[in-house]
Amino acid sequence: MPYSRKPTRAEIRRERLQEAINFPLDWLEERSGLVGGIRYFLFRKVPADTNWMQTLGSAALTAFLVQAITGVILAMYYKPDPKDAYSSIQNITDHLTMGWMVRGMHKWGASVFIILMFLHMGRVFLFGAYKYPRELNWIIGVLILVMGMMEGFTGYLLPWDQTAYWASVVGINLNGTAPFLGPWLAQFLRSGQEIGADTLSRFYSLHMLLIPGGIISLIGLHLYLVIRLGVTSPPWSREAAGMVPADEEPVPLRPGLTRPVPRTIAAAQGDAGGSE
Amino acid sequence: MAVVPQPQHEKPSRVEEARAGFARYKADVKKRGKPFYPYAMFHDTVMSLIVVTVILGLAAIWKWTSYGPHHDGTHQGLLGPEYTAPADPGTTSFVPRPDWYFYFLFYLLRIFKWPESVFLGTVGVPTIALILLLLLPFMDTRLERRPSHRPVAMVAMALTIVSMAVLTWKGATANEALASEVIANVPNWVKQEKLPPQALPGAKLFATAGCTACHTYLGTGSSNLGAPDLTAIGTRNLGITFQVNHLKCPSCVNPGSPMPKFASLGDTRLHQLAVFLEASKGPQH
Amino acid sequence: MEPNGPAPEHEEHDEDIHLPPPSLWPVGFAVGVVVVLVGLIINPTLISPIGGAIAIIFGVLWARDATAELRGQPIHVEPERREMVEAGAGETAPPADQQGAALPPPEPGETFPRSRFLEGTTLGLGALIGGVITVPVAGFAVLPSFLRQRGHKVDLGPVAGFPQGQWYIATFTVDPSEGAVSRRTAFIRNNGPTTNNEPSFTIISNRCAHLGCPVQANGPTGAILGQKTVHEHTANGPVTLEPVVPAGFGCPCHGGQYDTEGNRTAGPPVRALDRYGFEVDHGRLVLLSTYSVSHVIGTGGQAKIYKYKEAGPGQHVDGPEQWFYPLQPPHH
Repeated sequence: MPYSRKPTRAEIRRERLQEAINFPLDWLEERSGLVGGIRYFLFRKVPADTNWMQTLGSAALTAFLVQAITGVILAMYYKPDPKDAYSSIQNITDHLTMGWMVRGMHKWGASVFIILMFLHMGRVFLFGAYKYPRELNWIIGVLILVMGMMEGFTGYLLPWDQTAYWASVVGINLNGTAPFLGPWLAQFLRSGQEIGADTLSRFYSLHMLLIPGGIISLIGLHLYLVIRLGVTSPPWSREAAGMVPADEEPVPLRPGLTRPVPRTIAAAQGDAGGSE
Repeated sequence: MAVVPQPQHEKPSRVEEARAGFARYKADVKKRGKPFYPYAMFHDTVMSLIVVTVILGLAAIWKWTSYGPHHDGTHQGLLGPEYTAPADPGTTSFVPRPDWYFYFLFYLLRIFKWPESVFLGTVGVPTIALILLLLLPFMDTRLERRPSHRPVAMVAMALTIVSMAVLTWKGATANEALASEVIANVPNWVKQEKLPPQALPGAKLFATAGCTACHTYLGTGSSNLGAPDLTAIGTRNLGITFQVNHLKCPSCVNPGSPMPKFASLGDTRLHQLAVFLEASKGPQH
Repeated sequence: MEPNGPAPEHEEHDEDIHLPPPSLWPVGFAVGVVVVLVGLIINPTLISPIGGAIAIIFGVLWARDATAELRGQPIHVEPERREMVEAGAGETAPPADQQGAALPPPEPGETFPRSRFLEGTTLGLGALIGGVITVPVAGFAVLPSFLRQRGHKVDLGPVAGFPQGQWYIATFTVDPSEGAVSRRTAFIRNNGPTTNNEPSFTIISNRCAHLGCPVQANGPTGAILGQKTVHEHTANGPVTLEPVVPAGFGCPCHGGQYDTEGNRTAGPPVRALDRYGFEVDHGRLVLLSTYSVSHVIGTGGQAKIYKYKEAGPGQHVDGPEQWFYPLQPPHH
């Protein structure tokens, strides 16, 4: 880089700092392309009229991450055995430092996660965002919801208190009333003819490993499709992407505004003498 | 719009229309969209902060109203106990209930109260609902997305929300009785209803003889099989003889009644129960 | 040779290129290995050798197949169907004639492209590896729930402890090695000797026939009756017998009601309450496994009990609905 004058020491220092910051990023980019990928994810265009309702999906993702993190920590103290499970839950909640907080976050995070999934689904329905070409993503979303409910079912047994035990008895027997394969499914869930120690460790394994693994994979697919297909505009929006009537082209971005203004509003503002 | 590829035929097929619409969408977003970071992501971040705050807040309220002031995790705080008693598969006095997001299913089971329809409530209705949910994009293939132009979808959505909300609410408020709680409530009944001493044996019988599996009394008990609340049954002045006969054989007095016969309790106990019921005139002040 | 391929077509492909036909032998070999593994779980002396035989036979056929060309046997040509696909149909991968060949063309003197051989072998071996991993894992996840389920006998103490006609709520441990998890409750009445002078007990499980909630006795118990609860210690650990005068049994979950024989009288239960089998051994009452009951006619020792194999709660054992539950898993 040619300089018209000799650079000051401050300028040299700033440039060296810049290089020091860029070096690891460039190194990573050259070897993995990850930086470009993240840049694509962050700076991809979304419709200018997205609104607050469209944050529900990422909020559900946040709740899931809370579940994942607190769950891993709880697993460090919880003992999935009928003889110890209840006392380990008591210990976590009442005696270990901040245990109540992590268990509380996990317990209430579950409810928040389920609520957010339902709200997110309602938003998608309201927007008609499950329509072409996003049908597949709707199905994946339904599967995530079902697996989330399965997480709730398997996790409910783990404290091994009366509520947990009997809710699981009824839940397993509900599955048992399914025609033909129900009795077999119930016995598989119980890991035998009666609820016992194996039932608890089985539910623990399903709750900790199998179902979360499934959810994480499905969330990955879900996000991939969101990025590939784009975010829908609110259907009632005047400047909804892909929905603008051909005879009413919106006015392009005015300098200083982040969202395009429909011609009618822009015209009205123009008549009023351009006041903000 | 210039970017819209207009098909050449007079009437494009639905697939062509859909593809053209998506191409238009892509072009629109490219032309006047805004980058995800920081515009949309700012909203996402604010919302996530709210979510995490709510979760932490719930955890704190749960802890500090249950264990906090009482040093007893089984204490019913604002958000329920930290845990109930240890699991006892041999219990005869526990009424299970699921986590709140299964309340709709839990209440569905109370609606399907005939043996022939059990599996409808347990697996039938939920399975059908799930299949409908999965197949939604293939049932609703119109391209119209504006809610005002999708009346069927909007009505279906409203019905779904209302029915889920009602089922969840009914499940949440469904009364349930733990036998131990019922017996513990007897002195309270005596106090509130100003029961005379001769009604006390009947009250204790009422609390232990399974009556509260279907009837409620001053808010205690489960409401099942359409059984009436008995808090103020005495105000109907049905008489001791009627009560005894009804208890002996409810369906003889009241045809079609699903209430079981209590004849085997013996005349003395039935008389005690009748005295208690007749003395129950509702809360007295 | 040629166990499954269609008649060879030579018109368009009659060059020096010879392709090995897709062989089913590796699949048979994999099946054999699977049978060996399943046999190890179920019956190592009978099923495993059968699986071994299958694996060896198919393995030999496969080996013959793969080496046929080396042994100079003629090889039929399998038409390359993929080339029939119109160019451009698959947009993700470029047509084979563009951007260079995916695999090198056959060397001069090479009689069939290595591509077909490698493709078949890769897929076959991959399937074999998948099978070798999946079968034992899935088997271990599923089979122990159904095999070697053991029944238990529960000693409830001397028969003399059950006065004739008196109901007890008995709470006991089915399997002491499992501990509190196997605590169960039953309602027991000594019916007195039958006409054949054999002991008769009515022993009703408190598991609701609707969805398995704990059923409660509709009647006053020990303390209200002024009778003492009996605490015993038997080979199965602690047993409590609480006297009760039930007018019937009721479930607080969904309101199922039963009479004192366990017949459903109201509510959603699909059948009568389950019962325990029993025997009297050296003057002691011993509970055996449970069985399901559709309904009971008569009472006490004279009751005619319509017995069925143990079924889960909510599952019909009689009537047209029983066809929904044709096969019950093994239960003791």
